[in-house]
Amino acid sequence: MPRDDCRILSARFGRRDGHKLAVYEADGGYRALRKALTSMTPVAVRDEVKAAGLRGRGGAGFPTGVKWGFVPAGASTVYFMVNADESEPGTFKDRWIMDYDPHAMIEGAILSSYAVGARLCFIYIRGEFGWLIDRVQKAVDEAYAAGYLGRGILGSAYELEMLVHKGAGAYICGEETGLINSVEGRKGQPSIKPPFPAVQGFLRQPTIVNNVETVAAVPYIVREGAATYRRHGTEKSPGTKLWSVSGPVRRPGVYELPLGLPFREFFTQDLGGMADGEELKAVIVGGSSVPVLTADEIMGVNLDYESLAEAGTMLGSGGMIVVPSRCDMVELIQVLMHFYWDESCGQCTPCREGTGWLHKIVKRLRTGAGAPSDVELLERVCDGMMGLTICPLADAAVMPMRSFLQKFRHEFVALAHRPEIAQPRSRWARQTNEVVR
Amino acid sequence: MAKLTIDGVAIEVPDGTRLFDACTQVRGEALPHFCYHPDLSIAGVCRLCQVEIEGAPKLTIACNTVVRDGMVVHTRSERVRRAARQILEMHLINHPVDCPICDQAGECGLQDQYMIHGLYASEVAKSDKVLKLKAQPIGPHVILDKERCVLCSRCVRFCQEITKTGELGIFQRGDRAEIGVAPDRQLDNNYSLNTVDICPVGALTSRDFRFQKRVWLLRSVPSICPGCATGCNIRIDHEGGQVWRLRPRRNDAVNGPWMCDTGRLEYKRLHAGDRLSRPLVRRDGELREVEWREAWPELEQRLTAGKGKLALANPHQTVEELWLFKRLAGLFCGEDLTAGCLAGSDAAEGDQFLLDADRSPNRAALARLGLAARAPAQAAAQAVAGAPVLVYGGDPALADPALAAALGAAELIYFGTRLNATASRARIVVPLAMWAEKAGLFLNRQGRLQALRAAIARPETAREDWRFLAELLTRLGAGPQPATLALLRAEVGAAFGLPAAQDLDALPAEGLVLAPVTGAPAGGGR
Repeated sequence: MPRDDCRILSARFGRRDGHKLAVYEADGGYRALRKALTSMTPVAVRDEVKAAGLRGRGGAGFPTGVKWGFVPAGASTVYFMVNADESEPGTFKDRWIMDYDPHAMIEGAILSSYAVGARLCFIYIRGEFGWLIDRVQKAVDEAYAAGYLGRGILGSAYELEMLVHKGAGAYICGEETGLINSVEGRKGQPSIKPPFPAVQGFLRQPTIVNNVETVAAVPYIVREGAATYRRHGTEKSPGTKLWSVSGPVRRPGVYELPLGLPFREFFTQDLGGMADGEELKAVIVGGSSVPVLTADEIMGVNLDYESLAEAGTMLGSGGMIVVPSRCDMVELIQVLMHFYWDESCGQCTPCREGTGWLHKIVKRLRTGAGAPSDVELLERVCDGMMGLTICPLADAAVMPMRSFLQKFRHEFVALAHRPEIAQPRSRWARQTNEVVR
Repeated sequence: MAKLTIDGVAIEVPDGTRLFDACTQVRGEALPHFCYHPDLSIAGVCRLCQVEIEGAPKLTIACNTVVRDGMVVHTRSERVRRAARQILEMHLINHPVDCPICDQAGECGLQDQYMIHGLYASEVAKSDKVLKLKAQPIGPHVILDKERCVLCSRCVRFCQEITKTGELGIFQRGDRAEIGVAPDRQLDNNYSLNTVDICPVGALTSRDFRFQKRVWLLRSVPSICPGCATGCNIRIDHEGGQVWRLRPRRNDAVNGPWMCDTGRLEYKRLHAGDRLSRPLVRRDGELREVEWREAWPELEQRLTAGKGKLALANPHQTVEELWLFKRLAGLFCGEDLTAGCLAGSDAAEGDQFLLDADRSPNRAALARLGLAARAPAQAAAQAVAGAPVLVYGGDPALADPALAAALGAAELIYFGTRLNATASRARIVVPLAMWAEKAGLFLNRQGRLQALRAAIARPETAREDWRFLAELLTRLGAGPQPATLALLRAEVGAAFGLPAAQDLDALPAEGLVLAPVTGAPAGGGR
């Protein structure tokens, strides 16, 4: 059950015809935009978001207002891009926003574009989200027809064009420079930094890329003010966060929580604990790229940036994968390593070669062809990848791999020493229709 | 200027200097690298040039970092070494290690780094290697081995940024990524072999050089490409009296680090079959090989028999040779100086980059020495039947049928290296040296003097041009001639108005640009 006391992003989830402009307007939609365009300068909007302490919800958690502030003063051409390439395994929150509340994202994108001085805004949606692309495009068309987009928005001097761009289904295009390259028509692979996109991005002009959830929080902040937003969450992690919960809990789904909520409370009250016959083994809390926490560890943490960092993991995208005790951790990491091997763009050597190597070693262990030395080899390969590449994809593969090796080492060692216990055919796969390659 | 400390050494470099270059300066050798190339954009993908910058939490690639004042950098710390070693291992895991059959062996970045880091025990299972296509011809001159490729993207950037032809790309992603040619394209631009040079491994090899010679057997001589008026700086790689390949040598004032394929394959003509090695004298209508002792009197007699009307040099001869030839022509033609060169010879299509439409290396020198160009018809008119005509190099008979006929009817004396259309019409033929067999100076299209150096030996019975000309002048009574090339160059230098202190034996690395001559024939006789 979503909590009623802090519904900023999810307030309209499930609302009948909530994706339509008329309903959105009836619910108070586009009031924030009207307020900003009639009474606030772009800098005032930026300052409000900065004061709200809104942090990037795509995974990195970088303060949004600060990022906006990196656009060089006096830049004549600035672009704004909404990152809707949601493809982190375990993460399915942005799609809910686009499905139920596309106008919240659009209004947020207009406000954000206004704040950074952009006159062209892209919404980059992953190619697999076919129905959402249609939904968002219809909403954009409605916004144009109603004068929220185009020239002279709401009678102001501000003009903004908005384009919905369909990705081709590459995880790496969710990395902001990969996304920009993709929009430019290049191969979707990250660029070296510096220069950072805020200084030199799309077509070498200052470009701000923000996640859907980040953008969707902006109308509330502008409408209600930073102070109201900060009533939710903690001092250092203000506001609310969407969590997409998968795994055999009683009530999986998308939840909006105030940051700082104890996991135990969320787990027992909202999720209803584990499903019948299931026992909690571990949780990957912020999407597949963060270190795993064991059942003991997760029960002691609060769900905010600082507490999770202290526990040795990251809030990430909020894609929470709950792992039951019957799950073979070597098999689970094989699925993840397959993903990173498949999705590595291949430009940096440590990632290109390392992701494939990790996958092969894990697969070998899983199928009973491994050797005791493979466990140390996995660690060594991780060392040769971490922190050495252009973008964080290599790190994203290493962090779960290392934490699995550290916290569930016995499962790897057992397979390496007693290959006869290997079960190449997966119990887990049958239950989840997961294809283990 | 920025003051920084690298490996404990304080240095000061201009603002905007790349940290990579500053590190090279201090270390005396470059950081390990595959993707960085000073003439291409920064890719930052090989990840090998990581250095430790104090205050930065992570290692940083030096190629994409600009120096900052106060930076403290470590390039030999344990952390940096470990990272380089680990990244090198990543480069090697899917490499086929087929060095015994790889032409790059001996000049391979992977081999060099491997020796430094000593990764002697491979941890990767043979069955884990990613196999890719080998030996795929991707153009007329280049062959691709996808397995050996480290995906540094230098070749891709070269085709995008230097030739702007964009034939190559990286296709697929992850460890399936591979270099490939765009659909329906070939790597067929005239600079394609530069991709072989910049490929740090054996992924791109030259179809011409492939399997010909192990590179460690080759000796290398710095020289100048004779292929056109640009005068690209090159290395002549030779072994066993044979040239095996030419490679560009950096001269930022002329060719940067590049050269064209046309020039690069120029060496093949050195070993073509029609080489002159012995003097030839026409007896009973046939050109017959004779000993030099027989050739000399014949030559003297023919050159002094009557006033010559025409002496043709050509722009493939060196400055020193032309200088002596002009003296000889003065003797031969007297006051009525009709020495010169053939206009329009060696004209072809050029490009906007290195390949010049004038496919001769020294035409500027002809003009400077006053060896004026004349049209083939004009030359034909001057080649009077029965009168002696002197032709030095080239093949003017091929240029024009009327000239060919005139040369055939005249008493033709030919100095050269090939039994070509002109030589075969001669009464006497003198075998001289080819460009890779002799030293000399070329004056390129910029008016830049550059030095040609001998790489291989000429046939024993052929003569080095300047010595032959000097001896001939002496025999003809022109008095003492310069006894060494240095003395000859001193004469040339004086004639060019260079200060006596200018030693033409030791030109600056970028060559010596001559001041334009006032009143010289406009256009250099092109």
